[in-house]
Amino acid sequence: MRNIEQFRYITAAGLDKLVSRLIEDYTVFGTIKKDGFPAFSKITDVKELELAQTPTHLSAKEFLFPQRETLLKFDIRNNIHEAVIEAKEQVIIGLHSCDIHAIALMDRVFAEGRPDANYLARRNKTIIIGSDCMPDNFCFCKSMGTMNAEEGFDLFLHKVKNGYLVRVGSKKGGRLLSRYTATLRPTAGKFRELDESMKIREASFAAKLDAGVEELPAIYEGAYESPVWDKIGAICTGCGSCNNVCPTCYCFDIKDEVRPNLREGARVRVWDGCTLEDFAKVAGGHNFRKTRAERLRHRFNRKFRYLSDRFGELFCVGCGRCSRTCLVKINIVEVTNEIIRESKRAGRK
Amino acid sequence: MKSYESRKEPEENKAEPILETLESPYLPAPGIIERALKVTEKEMLFSVTPLNPRLLDYRPGQFFMVGLPGYGEAPISVTSAPGSKTFELCIRAVGNLTNAIHRLNKGDWLWIRGPFGTSFPLHEMKGKDILFIAGGIGIVPMRSLIKTVLSAKGFGKKTLVYGSKSPGEILFSDEMDEWKERGCDVRLTIDKPHPGWTGNVGVVTTLIPELKLKEGRTVAVVIGPPVMYRFVILSLKERLVGPGEIFVSLERRMKCGVGKCGHCQINGCYVCQEGPVFKLSDLKDLPEAL
Repeated sequence: MRNIEQFRYITAAGLDKLVSRLIEDYTVFGTIKKDGFPAFSKITDVKELELAQTPTHLSAKEFLFPQRETLLKFDIRNNIHEAVIEAKEQVIIGLHSCDIHAIALMDRVFAEGRPDANYLARRNKTIIIGSDCMPDNFCFCKSMGTMNAEEGFDLFLHKVKNGYLVRVGSKKGGRLLSRYTATLRPTAGKFRELDESMKIREASFAAKLDAGVEELPAIYEGAYESPVWDKIGAICTGCGSCNNVCPTCYCFDIKDEVRPNLREGARVRVWDGCTLEDFAKVAGGHNFRKTRAERLRHRFNRKFRYLSDRFGELFCVGCGRCSRTCLVKINIVEVTNEIIRESKRAGRK
Repeated sequence: MKSYESRKEPEENKAEPILETLESPYLPAPGIIERALKVTEKEMLFSVTPLNPRLLDYRPGQFFMVGLPGYGEAPISVTSAPGSKTFELCIRAVGNLTNAIHRLNKGDWLWIRGPFGTSFPLHEMKGKDILFIAGGIGIVPMRSLIKTVLSAKGFGKKTLVYGSKSPGEILFSDEMDEWKERGCDVRLTIDKPHPGWTGNVGVVTTLIPELKLKEGRTVAVVIGPPVMYRFVILSLKERLVGPGEIFVSLERRMKCGVGKCGHCQINGCYVCQEGPVFKLSDLKDLPEAL
C-alpha cells in the first residue's frame, strides 16, 4: 500500500530550484550525458543534470567508496602516523532503485564487525536522491527483487507530466525539500500517471532469471563443479571490469605512496578485483585461485551465495553493469540461467 | 567555503559524535625493536616492545598486520608465547616490505595493528596428547603454541614433527634441547640428503607412521606450506586422527585484517575473522581451503 503522505509534487522548475540550491550548499553529483551516455559526475550547474532512464556504465559507489582514498598520512623521520578520514557533505542525484539497494548493502559491509570509519563518515554526510528508470536489455532488478526501493534514500523523484512526484524517504529529505523549493500536495491524477508508468516499466524487462531469488544460494552451491566456470573462464580476459562497475564490489588493496622527499607519504586504499590474477596470491608466490575459471566462480558466488550466508541478503542488485561492460560478453543472467537449468536437470534425475 | 554547521539541526548533531569517535581501523601503533637477530639465511627474529600494552594481549595462533611507512603492511604470525612485555616476530625476507624490515636494527620502530584472528583452543586441547606438525616457516606460529603448551600443565604427551628443506633452514634449533627437556619429543626431517646430516630424510609424512598415537587421545596441529596439508591429513587419517582432532592455521593474502578487503577469503569465509586457526572439520564445506 502506498502511503500518499510520503509524496509531494514539484514542478520541473521546482526541481531546478532545488538542485541549484543544493549546488550552493553541497558538493553535488548527478547524472549527465557523457559521449551520449548517462554518467555520474560532479555538477556545478543545474543545466548539466540529465536524469537518466537507463543505467550508467559506472555505478555511483565511487562517491562513497572512492577508487583511491587516503587512510593515513605518515612522516617517516618523525615516526608519525595520522589517520585521515575524508568526508564532506554531498548529494548524489539520480540513483536508480538498484543503486539504492546497493548502497544499503555497502552500508552493512562497512558497519559490520570492526566499523570502517572512512566509509561510514562519508556515508553519514551523503544525501541520496533517487530517480525512476526504464530497463535496458541487461537490467534484471525485477528478478532480484530490487526493482523498487522502499527505503535507503532521502528523496526519490518520479517523473510525471510537467514535474515530479517526490517521495520523501527521510526526515532529512523532507526538510531539504521544504527548505529549498516549493512543493504541492499531489493530485490523484499524478498518482494515476505514476501507476501507469510503473506498469509500463514492469512489462519492459527483457532479461529475467528462471528461478526465485531465495533459491539462488542453494543453486549456486550445487553448481560449484559446474562446467560453466571453465566455459566462461576460457573466454574471460581477467580485466576486472566487472568488479569495477559493480555497485556492490568492495574489495580493496592498500598501498603506500611516498612523496619525492622520501620523508612523507600516505597509505591509500584503492579498488581491487577478485577476477584479477594476483588477487589471492601470497608473498611466497602461491596463488590460491590460479585460473580465471576459479576467479569467476568466486565472483559469482560472492554475489549469489557467500555474502548472503554472511548478511542474509544477495549481493547482486540486478543492475546488469557487469554484463553490459564485459569485453567478451559474459552475461550474468545467462550464466545464472545456465546454472539454474543444470540444477533443474539434476533435480529431475 | 560555506559552513554546514549552521544548517545542522539538533537531531543530526546527535548522530555525529558516534562517528567522530569511531577510530580508524587502519591506524597502526608503534613497537620498538629490542633485538634483531638473523637466525637463518632468510629469516630474522625480532623482539618488539609495543608502546601500547594492548598489543601484548594476544593468544597463540593470532597475527599482527606489521608495516613500515612507505612499504605497506603484511600479516605476520606471532612466534612468542604470551605473558612477556615484548613479543617476537620471525620474518622471512620475501618482498619489499620484509626485506626492508630485515634492514632494521635495535631501537628502530615497526608499525603494528592487531592482534587479529582466531587462536588455538587450549581448553579443548587440555588432557590430550599434542602432536605438532610443522613444515618450513609453519614452525613460526607453531612456536607460540609449543612454548605455551610446554609451560602449562594438563597436557598429555607432546611431540613435534618438523620438516625443513635443508639443515640450514631449520628454525629455532638452538631452543629444541630446551623443548626436549621440558617434555617434548622433537623429530626433525629434511627434504633431501645433505652432507653432514645424520637425521631423517624425507617429507614430514615419512615420520608419521613411526609415531605412537593413541586413538581418541591425540590432537594434531598442522601448519605448513599449502602443499603439505593434504598429505599430512591423509597420514593422520591412517593413524585414526580425524578432522575433529586436527587444527590447522592457514595463510592467505591480507590487506585490512578487519574482514573487509576480501583478499583472505576462502569461499565465503574470511580467514582474518574466522581463521587463521581452524578445526579441520569446520573446513569441510570450504573446497578452497586446502
